[in-house]
Amino acid sequence: MGTPEHSKPGGPEEVRRLADALRQVSAGRRLTFMEVCGTHTMAISRYGLRQLLPQGIRLVSGPGCPVCVTAMRDLDTVVALARLPEVTLATFGDLVRVPSSSSTLAAERAQGADVRVVYSPFDAVELAATRPDRQVVFAGIGFETTAPAVAAAILDGARRELTNFSVLSLHKTMPAPLRALLDLGETAIDGFILPGHVSVITGSLAFDFLAREYGVGGVVAGFEPADVLAALVRLAAQREPAVAIEYTRAVRPEGNTLAREVMSQVFEPSDAEWRGLGTIPGSGLVLAPAFRQFAAEERFSVDPGPSREPRGCRCGEVLRGLIDPPVCGLFGKRCTPEQPIGACMVSSEGACAAYYRYRDIGE
Amino acid sequence: MSTDERILIGHGSGGKLYRDLVGDVFVAAFSNPVLDRLDDAAELASPGARLAFTTDAHVVQPLEFPGGDIGTLAVAGTVNDLATAAARPLALAAAFIIEEGFPLPALRRLCASMGRTASSVGVPIVTGDTKVVQRGLADGVYITTTGVGEIVVAHRLGADTVRPGDLVLLTGSIGDHAAAVLAARGEFHLALDIESDCAPLWHLVAVALAAAGEDLRFLRDPTRGGLTTVLAELAESSGLGIEVEEAAIPISAPVQALCDLLGYDPLVLANEGKMVMVVGPESAAAVLAALRAHPLGRRAAIVGELTEAHPRRVALRTAFGTRRVLDMPIGELLPRIC
Amino acid sequence: MCLAIPMRVAAIEDQMATIESQGLTQRVSLLLVPDARVGDYVLVHAGCAIAVLGEQEATETLDLLREVLAFEDREEAGEFEDHGDS
Repeated sequence: MGTPEHSKPGGPEEVRRLADALRQVSAGRRLTFMEVCGTHTMAISRYGLRQLLPQGIRLVSGPGCPVCVTAMRDLDTVVALARLPEVTLATFGDLVRVPSSSSTLAAERAQGADVRVVYSPFDAVELAATRPDRQVVFAGIGFETTAPAVAAAILDGARRELTNFSVLSLHKTMPAPLRALLDLGETAIDGFILPGHVSVITGSLAFDFLAREYGVGGVVAGFEPADVLAALVRLAAQREPAVAIEYTRAVRPEGNTLAREVMSQVFEPSDAEWRGLGTIPGSGLVLAPAFRQFAAEERFSVDPGPSREPRGCRCGEVLRGLIDPPVCGLFGKRCTPEQPIGACMVSSEGACAAYYRYRDIGE
Repeated sequence: MSTDERILIGHGSGGKLYRDLVGDVFVAAFSNPVLDRLDDAAELASPGARLAFTTDAHVVQPLEFPGGDIGTLAVAGTVNDLATAAARPLALAAAFIIEEGFPLPALRRLCASMGRTASSVGVPIVTGDTKVVQRGLADGVYITTTGVGEIVVAHRLGADTVRPGDLVLLTGSIGDHAAAVLAARGEFHLALDIESDCAPLWHLVAVALAAAGEDLRFLRDPTRGGLTTVLAELAESSGLGIEVEEAAIPISAPVQALCDLLGYDPLVLANEGKMVMVVGPESAAAVLAALRAHPLGRRAAIVGELTEAHPRRVALRTAFGTRRVLDMPIGELLPRIC
Repeated sequence: MCLAIPMRVAAIEDQMATIESQGLTQRVSLLLVPDARVGDYVLVHAGCAIAVLGEQEATETLDLLREVLAFEDREEAGEFEDHGDS
């Protein structure tokens, strides 16, 4: 059957046509669009999409990188758990090099902590099942794309009656920070490139409030260059703010209802602290009462100590789209992918890492 | 010996057990007139003017993987390092650190791989050493190989000899080895229809040298750190810029799929049977044809060019006509979920 | 926010699917998309299928270009207010 039609839409030819269309439709206007998905940030940088945009269009990165928006205190808790001798800390690769107040999981591993990188939360459950002598703690980060999978894994753990598996839920949900951002009223955003895979779960309807309540449009975009450009064309062409779907092959207005049910079976909303945005009510996920026995923060009492934001780090402003990474005094000097100070640089999705890694070559 | 037999601490103790092991396993797999004498040092016939000398330690998990094993790696790796100096491999030494309890049949298989790989490029393994360590150490076995070779060209290769306008050639698809080993390791519970490309490349390099003569200015094998590391180092050492054409880089579909799934960059994945060559433009077509005519170079391609623009930086041109910088990868290869 | 790739469902057993794409084979949970069938393409993330893929509206670009042209007409007719500085 070969490559499916919908796996790679839009080769160079279509991308060129879309870039032209964008130029026409923006007609020299100055527009600021915010992408709120770290994977979009990466894609934009990896494909050099900024080089295809007309002069007046500016793209800023929003708070959509799950690692970057994790509060320092939460990172410290992860490290503290990893230090417990009975704990095997299972984590996505994304967290391994993130600096906490005083350490990283990589550094802890070198000091003897049992840190294991997993691709899926089911692997963590499997690990617990095969190592009854260890307490496997899974550090759960990610938004609505990931939370249902983690919920499914917890259901699996419950079914298998595992007593040595737990989850530190650092999951957050997406619509809330956009509200918080707009309520702050700091940057004039003309439209959002909405997260493609979060929307698979939440549906585009979850973002309708942007147009209805704030008069800002949004388009749910896929991750190929043609997807992003098509979304920008639609945003620029909108006469009235509206929320639309470009990523029609994967996203529906109502999203994946079943996935949301699984999520709400296992998790319930809580307040959560977002780096750069402070505490946003109802924007986090914690284990629901029926599954509280899997909550790592209740199974283990760890005191992460006082948390410390690195001096001069402007991740918060980057996450709010207030400054581009190069404006931060540490960027490219004391803060590089090799020696990251803030999460925006260490996370491969972080705005700073994307800017640095994929910076344009001066002519 | 029966299939139950395993390495004992005594095998490393230098006495009869050790001698028996050497005879039954190593000499049996590597036999040649020099090795068979079992001197502590091998006497080599002096080949003349310029020698290349290199050493490589090999650790890999799992020890056996689709397309090869640690034995294949140990021989190919050192042969390929010699080849980057345009040196025909003359002799190899092999030192083994083996974990107590390691199954002898497995050791025989690894040695058979080493023997086969070495024979394929006509290089004898002339001397070696074995130590045995306690159970739990050495991950089964670690192998260090050291090689000496004869440089067969009169001109000097090196990053300092490359010039603007020179072309960068890659002898085949990238990421095969890393992908095969990753899948074989079983951490991510997936199956991949790809084999390691592990292979000794002396003959391939020889045909390129024959086609290019002095126009072949630089050779490097993109092992750990991948293509990006080789190019970043080349740009840094030569003081020149490099333009790379992303669409020209050969990559197998399964490797690309793995990278898409786990968030890896194929350009930084390890290869164990590929060469990066910098060739003067006049000879590039001839070298390309010679490579493609060889079984190990069928997918050879011109992937880039040396330039005076952006000195010391490597620029990648995407299929969409945009450009970005390739930087040296930072340490550990980590999969991404987000 | 997350890496997810399309893969084809090759086999289903209980609620687990064997999925493949370009020589890569994996097993994932279908808990979140129980209606997936063999031959469907699913979007895969963190060990779960999260959506069954449909057709990308192939007319997408054409529609867009039509929107753009219509936009231009409206602009010429002076219908568009300047959005000011952003």
